[in-house]
Amino acid sequence: MPRIIVDEHYCKGCSLCVEVCPRDCIALDPDKITDKGYHPAVLTDESLCTGCTNCALMCPEVAITVER
Amino acid sequence: MSEKVLMKGNEALAEAAIRAGCRSFFGYPITPQTEVAAYMAKRMPKEGGIYLQAESEVAAINMVYGASAAGARVMTSSSSPGISLKGEGISYMAGADLPGVIINVQRGGPGLGGIQPSQADYFQATKATGHGDFHLIVLAPSTVQEMADTVYDAFDLADTYRTPVMILADGMLGQMMEPVVLPERKTEFTPKPWAVTGTKGKRPHNVITSLHLQPEDLERTNIERYERYDRIKATEQRAEEYLTEDADIVLVAFGATSRIARSAVNKARAAGIKAGLIRPITLWPFPTDAINRAAETASAFLTVEMNMGQMVEDVRLTVCGKKPVEFFGRAGGIIPTPAETLTVIERIAADLAGGAN
Repeated sequence: MPRIIVDEHYCKGCSLCVEVCPRDCIALDPDKITDKGYHPAVLTDESLCTGCTNCALMCPEVAITVER
Repeated sequence: MSEKVLMKGNEALAEAAIRAGCRSFFGYPITPQTEVAAYMAKRMPKEGGIYLQAESEVAAINMVYGASAAGARVMTSSSSPGISLKGEGISYMAGADLPGVIINVQRGGPGLGGIQPSQADYFQATKATGHGDFHLIVLAPSTVQEMADTVYDAFDLADTYRTPVMILADGMLGQMMEPVVLPERKTEFTPKPWAVTGTKGKRPHNVITSLHLQPEDLERTNIERYERYDRIKATEQRAEEYLTEDADIVLVAFGATSRIARSAVNKARAAGIKAGLIRPITLWPFPTDAINRAAETASAFLTVEMNMGQMVEDVRLTVCGKKPVEFFGRAGGIIPTPAETLTVIERIAADLAGGAN
């Protein structure tokens, strides 16, 4: 199953990945706060992810790893 | 000419500071400014400079005072709550006529506030960073390129006028990535014969202090400083004007908000409304010349800010009742959109048309 891993040290909660995800399966995690104080991006439904890498290509902090 | 690179605003600013000759950095981490300190921590040792994470913002600004007194090109950076802590030290620096560069990557306030972008420290930066009669030169970048360019200039301005200079950025500019051409390394610096570098038995002592117990002495230092401020006001005002020549409605916006205002101006022009934009680059000295010129030809002003209405007061002071000055802003870390700014422009246009009939 394809999935994404977000490096929360670098994620700044800009939500560009949320915008570009064609399957709408990324969201900012409202329950989590990173060391810098941001809500990090999180994969909401692993079954929807196709591993298309749109999110990783868009991420300005190169914080997303895609596994497929 | 350096090549174009893709950098984060905070990092471009830090690199430009190093290229401007900054070899001392004292700071304390705070979102959304942390990358300035992180970048300095990485680069300063390689440049033979000093990076020190102080135990607090108060300690950091007093280290800046000390380094500056010894003639160093020195910088500190923080975000809104941290700048409040530095206020006392900045006042001491102004009182002792010490140059230095202070970066404020603003976040929403008051109090701890939030960590999203804001421009709510305009009053603090331009009117009351600390106690006593003083001003800072305040520069407001609006792109990552300007984050680099303004800090590069800031060190020279500080040394020339012997005053602390503040870069008033915001979380949006600090965190965004854009292409930037970094400036060349500076090799020539303003001499500092006033610095306390050791007399070597060859000259009288230099004294750096902000303490003057004789009122006549203290007044004299204030008057001298304000004569310098008059020179700064006369020569250092900077503003960018966009489509203002024939504009009926002139928007005034600085920093990140000016980019939104520019989009709204373009949309308004497409809809047949003659809008223009004045973008103050120096917030102090406030670009009164540019605003005054526009006040002769425009019918109305609209100030757009990420706060509850701060710079609008300076626009009103400058326009001085000649033309109506309206305000639109969002606060708390919310970024105004071009569409909602356009709605305000359209309402003002309709009001103006109604008044004419």
